[in-house]
Amino acid sequence: MRLSYSLIVTVAILAFGALAPVIFKTQPYVLYVLTLALCYAIPVVGVNLLYGYTGLVSLGHMGFAGIGAYTTALLMKSAGMPFLPALLIGAIASGGVGLLVGIPCLRLRSHFFIVVTLAVGMILYTLFNNLDSITGGAEGLPGIPRPQRFSLGSWNMEFRSVSGFYTLTFIVTALVFGLQTLLVRSDFGRSLSSVRQDEALASARGVNVFAHKLTAFALSAAIAGVGGAMKVLFLRAAAPLSFELQESINLIVMLIVGGAGYLIGPLVGAIGFIALPEFLRAAAELRLVFFGFVLLVIARLAPRGICGTVELLFRKLSGKDASVVRHS
Amino acid sequence: MSAILEVSGVSKRFGGIRAVDGATFSLQCPGIFGLIGPNGAGKTTMFDIICGRHVPDSGEVRFHAERINGVAPYRLAREGLARTFQECRVLPDETCMDNVLFAAQDKRLGREMLQAVSRGTAARRNTGAEARRLLRLINLERYADQPAGALSYGQRRLLEIVSCLMSKPRILLLDEPASGINPTLLNTLRDFLIEIYRETKIVFLIVEHNMEFIMSLASEIVVMHQGRVLAQGAPEQIQSDKSVIDAYLGQS
Repeated sequence: MRLSYSLIVTVAILAFGALAPVIFKTQPYVLYVLTLALCYAIPVVGVNLLYGYTGLVSLGHMGFAGIGAYTTALLMKSAGMPFLPALLIGAIASGGVGLLVGIPCLRLRSHFFIVVTLAVGMILYTLFNNLDSITGGAEGLPGIPRPQRFSLGSWNMEFRSVSGFYTLTFIVTALVFGLQTLLVRSDFGRSLSSVRQDEALASARGVNVFAHKLTAFALSAAIAGVGGAMKVLFLRAAAPLSFELQESINLIVMLIVGGAGYLIGPLVGAIGFIALPEFLRAAAELRLVFFGFVLLVIARLAPRGICGTVELLFRKLSGKDASVVRHS
Repeated sequence: MSAILEVSGVSKRFGGIRAVDGATFSLQCPGIFGLIGPNGAGKTTMFDIICGRHVPDSGEVRFHAERINGVAPYRLAREGLARTFQECRVLPDETCMDNVLFAAQDKRLGREMLQAVSRGTAARRNTGAEARRLLRLINLERYADQPAGALSYGQRRLLEIVSCLMSKPRILLLDEPASGINPTLLNTLRDFLIEIYRETKIVFLIVEHNMEFIMSLASEIVVMHQGRVLAQGAPEQIQSDKSVIDAYLGQS
């Protein structure tokens, strides 16, 4: 039953996403905002893998996104590399940095680990801001080229226009969500979940807790790198401010509001955080006030986020599992 | 032939407390073994040492002649050493079925990654059928799709034991399986353990305070007292052993 519902939701989201350029043909602004939201949804998927499934909080994930972003941007701008290999190398670079950072950091527990990830994020930001010869310092890297047009026989796709780039971002986001689903629904996902629920039990059952955490951390950093790369390609400029601490915290906020540990939680959170305030025409400063309030309400009344609340309502309405007490 | 499990001269201290103090015993052949002793005798610490959770200060533990003290718990689990916890641990968010399947899955990272790509196989269906059979044996089949956190304490204990069995262990350590289980469920548990032993012929080592339960179940009993092994033998022999009676009644 539930599987078929989630299938319907998935198909509906995919159909809407694919048709969005047609639906909003006359409103490029809507497509612009949606693209930006998707650029955030990707790193939130990374955070979801780490926090929602493995139970680790990282406050430095936009730093890893920055590694992927600058790598991709430099490869495309200076080396003239095509989009796809540049994006993959960017992801590998951020994943590699995640791996190296994870080896010492993951030996720490709970809040010590969080503090260290915070520091890592700040260090990465400082590097982006000060390595003038590579990253362009505070001015950033302007003039990053958009991906080349893609031709298959007589069929052409260009990524220069807003709708063209939206389609590209949509495809990348769909692939990232596909990867997330694949990982989470596998034995690997179950092991990660066991690490979140009970580390002692997981290791007594044969899970190499450290190796699993490290893999999850590296994967999540790599996914964040993809998101960062898409963001700078979209904005056509890489600036350190895109990857500062506040942005990392925003990722966590998006995930918690959307629903940590739900496959579509990152999408709900990113659209809620980026797109809704734009349409409500709230100013940037007011948005933070608004979201501080929303976060407070969510934490108090709906700790499992929007997705969790919807699931709960749905269960109550269908009268199913009324007696099941959640022990989480 | 070497013993299946051999503990020799194992000591472990926490600060000033000698939790285990030169304990020595060995399990020579498959069977159901009981490990008993008054509170604080060092039984659970002994378990934690055998399973790799604690590293002993001295002495050694051998499993099929291979030295295993100091080996990480997850490696021992993969070698066929399964345990339950005194405080009873299951994955509360997963369904009972997923709990059991989780125990059965190959947890090497490479294999898990392969599985993520290759998905369902015949082996997986067989595992599912076996999981269902075991859940039926302990009357948990109708809760298969409920989260394990919703079960009663006793049911969670049974689920924990079944999960351990699914990993096809060569030795199974049960830490107080009967505690918190009502008398009816206790009979289910006894029948279940005897049935499983007949089927698998592996080593069961059971820490237990419920004397009636353990004496009727085990073929051999190891008694610990103040960190040492006091006696080892058949249940009748242990029940009439003077030093054991003294240890329990507090004259020494």
